[in-house]
Amino acid sequence: MSRGTSLLYHLCRLSLGALFLYAGAVKADDVVAFARNVANYEILPYSWNYVVAATLPYVEVVAGLLLIANRKVRPAALVLGVLTAVFMLALASVDLRGLDIDCGCFDPRGEGHTSARAALLRDFGIMALVVLTYMIRGRMPDPRR
Amino acid sequence: MPPSAETRRILLEAVVIFVLGVVLGLSFHCRLLMNAFSGKQAMSVATENSPVDRFPQPVELEGVRRLIEEGAAPVDARARELYLEGHLPSALSLPLQEAESLPDSFREAVSTDSVLVLYCSGYGCPDSFDLGIILLAEGYRDVRVFEGGFPEWHDAGLPVERGEP
Repeated sequence: MSRGTSLLYHLCRLSLGALFLYAGAVKADDVVAFARNVANYEILPYSWNYVVAATLPYVEVVAGLLLIANRKVRPAALVLGVLTAVFMLALASVDLRGLDIDCGCFDPRGEGHTSARAALLRDFGIMALVVLTYMIRGRMPDPRR
Repeated sequence: MPPSAETRRILLEAVVIFVLGVVLGLSFHCRLLMNAFSGKQAMSVATENSPVDRFPQPVELEGVRRLIEEGAAPVDARARELYLEGHLPSALSLPLQEAESLPDSFREAVSTDSVLVLYCSGYGCPDSFDLGIILLAEGYRDVRVFEGGFPEWHDAGLPVERGEP
């Protein structure tokens, strides 16, 4: 494997890991506020907004930490890929229904407002990182790690 | 074609990672989830697409304690008799029924820049949420709703004041 490919792999892995570690940590810090963000999507029943808000950040943190530690990279990337795909479906649904909400992707208490369409575009970029990380890791020695 | 052993291993480990995250989340927030599933919760989690532009932000017990320490104003949305029987320290009484035309005394006591923490009788009580809508419409910018309300505060053994403030 070329040095450039190896560099690209580590760049993708660390970017993805840091991104989800940060996203998960800030959401886990205020689960109730994140539940409100989830509720804004108007997809789940009331109580399930809390279940998603209470669990999703920790899945992001665990997968992000594994990527940063360069352990179980392909399973962790797969988890984040599935999550990102689910986010994209939810955001597409918001966009189709014309809801004007903050995506709640990062700090649930933040003042910023990221539209569903902007978040969807960003998720395409994240998905590219996931695919690159997953594919390159599979071509490296000791793919079980 | 059946998945290879490598694919099966990756899928299995991905499931383990997911389950680990879920278990951690459920462990850390089991009380919040029990409340949400007990049927005692407030009317709804606020959504941004209702006729009103903004909604009060929910806040948990620890957040309420912190906000009050930082100078937030607790506001009791229950009936006056319940307020007199016991309320959060330094809380102002503003029953929902009296808030339709906001009393001048309340405007004078609480500036629109204040952080307000509204509460009523717990998860089954929508008054604090409804009061929050009114106060936001009146120009108050930072309005939070403590969904656990007075029962959760009282049950946590936190100090309670009685009578007029």
